[in-house]
Amino acid sequence: MQAQKVQQLFVRYKILALLIAVAIIWVFFHLKTDSAFITPGNLSNLFRQMAITGMLACGMVFIIIAGEIDLSIGSQLGLLGGVVAILTVNQGWGTWPAIFAVLALGLVIGAFNGFVVTKMRVPSFIVGLGGMLAFRGIVLYITGSSTIAPAPDDLIALGQGFVPVALSRWIGALIFLAMVALTVRRRLRRGKLGLQQGALWIDIARLVAIGVFIFGFVRILNDANGIPIPVMILLGLLAVFTYVSTQTVFGRHIYAVGGNMEATRLSGVNVARVKLVVFALMGLMCAFAGIITVARTGSGSPSAGTGGELDAISACFIGGTSMRGGSGTVYGALIGALVMASLDSGMQLMDVDNSWQMIIKGVILALAVWVDVLSGSNRNG
Amino acid sequence: MSEYLFEMRQIVKEFSGVRALNGIDLAVRPGECVGLCGENGAGKSTLMKVLSGVYPYGTWEGEILFDGKPLKAYSVRDSEDAGIVIIHQELMLVPQLSVAENIFLGNEVRKFGGVMDYDTMYAKAEALLARLKLKDVNVAAPVMNYGGGYQQLFEIAKALAKNARLLILDEPSSSLTSSETDTLLSIIEDLKRDGVACVYISHKLEEVARVCDTVTVIRDGKHIVTKPMSEMTTHSIITAMVGRDIENLFPKVEHDIGEVIFEARHVTCWDVANPNRKRVDDVSFQIRRGEILGVAGLVGAGRTELVSAIFGAYPGRYEAELLLEGKPIKVKSPEQAIKAGLSLVPEDRKRQGIVPLLGVGDNITLATLSHYARAGQIDRQAELRTVEAEIKRLRVKTASPELAIVGLSGGNQQKAVLTKMLLPKPKVLILDEPTRGVDVGSKYDIYKLMFELAAKGVAIIMVSSEMPEVLGVSDRVLVVGEGKLRGDFQNVDLTQEQVLAAAISHAAEEPAHAA
Repeated sequence: MQAQKVQQLFVRYKILALLIAVAIIWVFFHLKTDSAFITPGNLSNLFRQMAITGMLACGMVFIIIAGEIDLSIGSQLGLLGGVVAILTVNQGWGTWPAIFAVLALGLVIGAFNGFVVTKMRVPSFIVGLGGMLAFRGIVLYITGSSTIAPAPDDLIALGQGFVPVALSRWIGALIFLAMVALTVRRRLRRGKLGLQQGALWIDIARLVAIGVFIFGFVRILNDANGIPIPVMILLGLLAVFTYVSTQTVFGRHIYAVGGNMEATRLSGVNVARVKLVVFALMGLMCAFAGIITVARTGSGSPSAGTGGELDAISACFIGGTSMRGGSGTVYGALIGALVMASLDSGMQLMDVDNSWQMIIKGVILALAVWVDVLSGSNRNG
Repeated sequence: MSEYLFEMRQIVKEFSGVRALNGIDLAVRPGECVGLCGENGAGKSTLMKVLSGVYPYGTWEGEILFDGKPLKAYSVRDSEDAGIVIIHQELMLVPQLSVAENIFLGNEVRKFGGVMDYDTMYAKAEALLARLKLKDVNVAAPVMNYGGGYQQLFEIAKALAKNARLLILDEPSSSLTSSETDTLLSIIEDLKRDGVACVYISHKLEEVARVCDTVTVIRDGKHIVTKPMSEMTTHSIITAMVGRDIENLFPKVEHDIGEVIFEARHVTCWDVANPNRKRVDDVSFQIRRGEILGVAGLVGAGRTELVSAIFGAYPGRYEAELLLEGKPIKVKSPEQAIKAGLSLVPEDRKRQGIVPLLGVGDNITLATLSHYARAGQIDRQAELRTVEAEIKRLRVKTASPELAIVGLSGGNQQKAVLTKMLLPKPKVLILDEPTRGVDVGSKYDIYKLMFELAAKGVAIIMVSSEMPEVLGVSDRVLVVGEGKLRGDFQNVDLTQEQVLAAAISHAAEEPAHAA
């Protein structure tokens, strides 16, 4: 009976189980690396690494909720990164015009993928598989298979820079206050509508945990120059994507389309348009990730983003997104990305051989989904 | 020694403290057919899961005797080995495998080294089908070549291949035409003569009355009554199921019929797989404000295709000219149809009606979500107010509007789908099999709602395979047969025989072949 209660708790607060998993991974690596893992420098690096997978995961989680998949995002990232490098380095464009042009291009590429999936009715798995090859081919063609460097300084600053320490503190405080305000507003509103309320202590415990987490997060990163700019961008994207998925008509339609496309279509929802927009957003996220990749490394590499689709998809599944579509959360996917990044970072610190890194990541992905299946949360549908 | 082949005594099953079954008794003699009746949610499926070992021995209380000996089934396999086979409401056949492969699925006849012995399997399959009076079946052809009526009989053959001594049929006729149902019932009568015992679960009480010797009614997980059929009438069964006396199944309310509001001209649909075949062939009709138009016909006659073409949802090529209030309207998608003032409640609730994981409220507002939004952002307060009002109005039984709709009973799901399609305030409401798989109480509520809507001037097109429903509810009846309009009757002294004769006319009664 007790075990059942614990199980129920984890099903309800899946996020809790994931965070515990992250904590275990961190402590494990910390012990194994003579206390080199949980240090400001390493964590700052880890979050920066995670930012790129996280951006891809933001887009991917919508795609998977809508019941589709996109395998071409690693190549899209490479292509869009390549274009930003060519525009700034070879064509002499200013950094910001180049960024906006690439963001727009990302939207167009994504929308094109969406068009092929929805209007031409090619299964998204195949479209992704084809795109994976074709987009990578285009990168190799336009870059002549060579690295394009050096990226301009203001672009590099986006990837390697930090939000100043004082500002980081304010941002942390603001996020916390926003969470408190949202929780209070939610309780007041649910009270007024006569909906079932979660226990007060759970909400308070949650806020305390969030507070401690934000405080620790800012404190640690401030010991290493402040919040890295890519991480700041990812936090912004998390807020936007969570808002879209929970508060907007479009967001509700994504879940409905993935949950039962036929029923949604017969309810008068333009199913094709919903999917098209979801793919376009995925392209936009690839542009973000491509730009940040170039900014971080200071160069446009033709092989950038190889395998990125697998990390992003793994992040979504580890984060509890249903494989059949119809359910999943953005923050879950980001914690999934954190799990993947933590494994990468820890094993690199431990100097684990690359072959073993791949084996371990593969096994953990399968294990994570198995635990999800065991917990019974994906049984419906 | 007991006279019964099979006995369940005082079965109690709890789910986290809630008693789903509270002391149920059920007994079947050899060669006897027992009808099990109860509303949706009464506990029929739970009882069947106990019986068949889906809920293993030990997870429930009470005892089951088979052949006078206690039966302790830990899995479906155990109960099948004892000779108890369930045929589920949804057919469990693999469409791409052949008839024989399906009949012996999990039970294959093998030669050495696991090689399938096709010759023996084909011969045995043919013998089994001959016992069911099916002679023109190619047992090597894929199951998907045959219609629903055949497939139901293949399921029975599959059960017989497992040497079933007790056959449990769960709503076996829900997707059969009346002639197919007829065949099914006469086969059950044959099996009874061979000593096979049956439990027949159905909402269709005429079938229960025809084939069952004894009736057991359960309600709210409790045993209500067990009596020989000769001492029961459909009316007394309904009263026992509902627990109150429903005097009139069709709460007909007088409503005024106004001017012509909607007209469909020359609706023609071509088959998706076979573009030369017309599923609907040049059908035209009108409907008036406040009129309830029943659309009758055999399964596969093209009724669903007709209404889905009108709603812009037909998957293949189609043509249709539509006029609403005298003006031509363009409907190429359900989105446009709803905007124009049409709504459709589809036939297959699970596949086309509900989004299972979404909450009841989210399902209810799916078609009108933008009404509750400003600049794309949902105003949850406004949404919830509507949802709660609708839940109350249609008496949808749900603990909370946030509960996933998949957890509700069929009748309550149907009410939610209905209210979803009513919220756009349609001028023409199309209902495709609105009460399929719905319990008697919810049926009553749905009919009542239809009459209320008609009184408010909504034109209702109702496709239904249940003849009493068509005659009990409609003001006018269209009969469709083989894609063509075969009759248009005012529902005054109209009889089932007249409608059926129109449905079958011209066409020699062709078995539901190659659906």
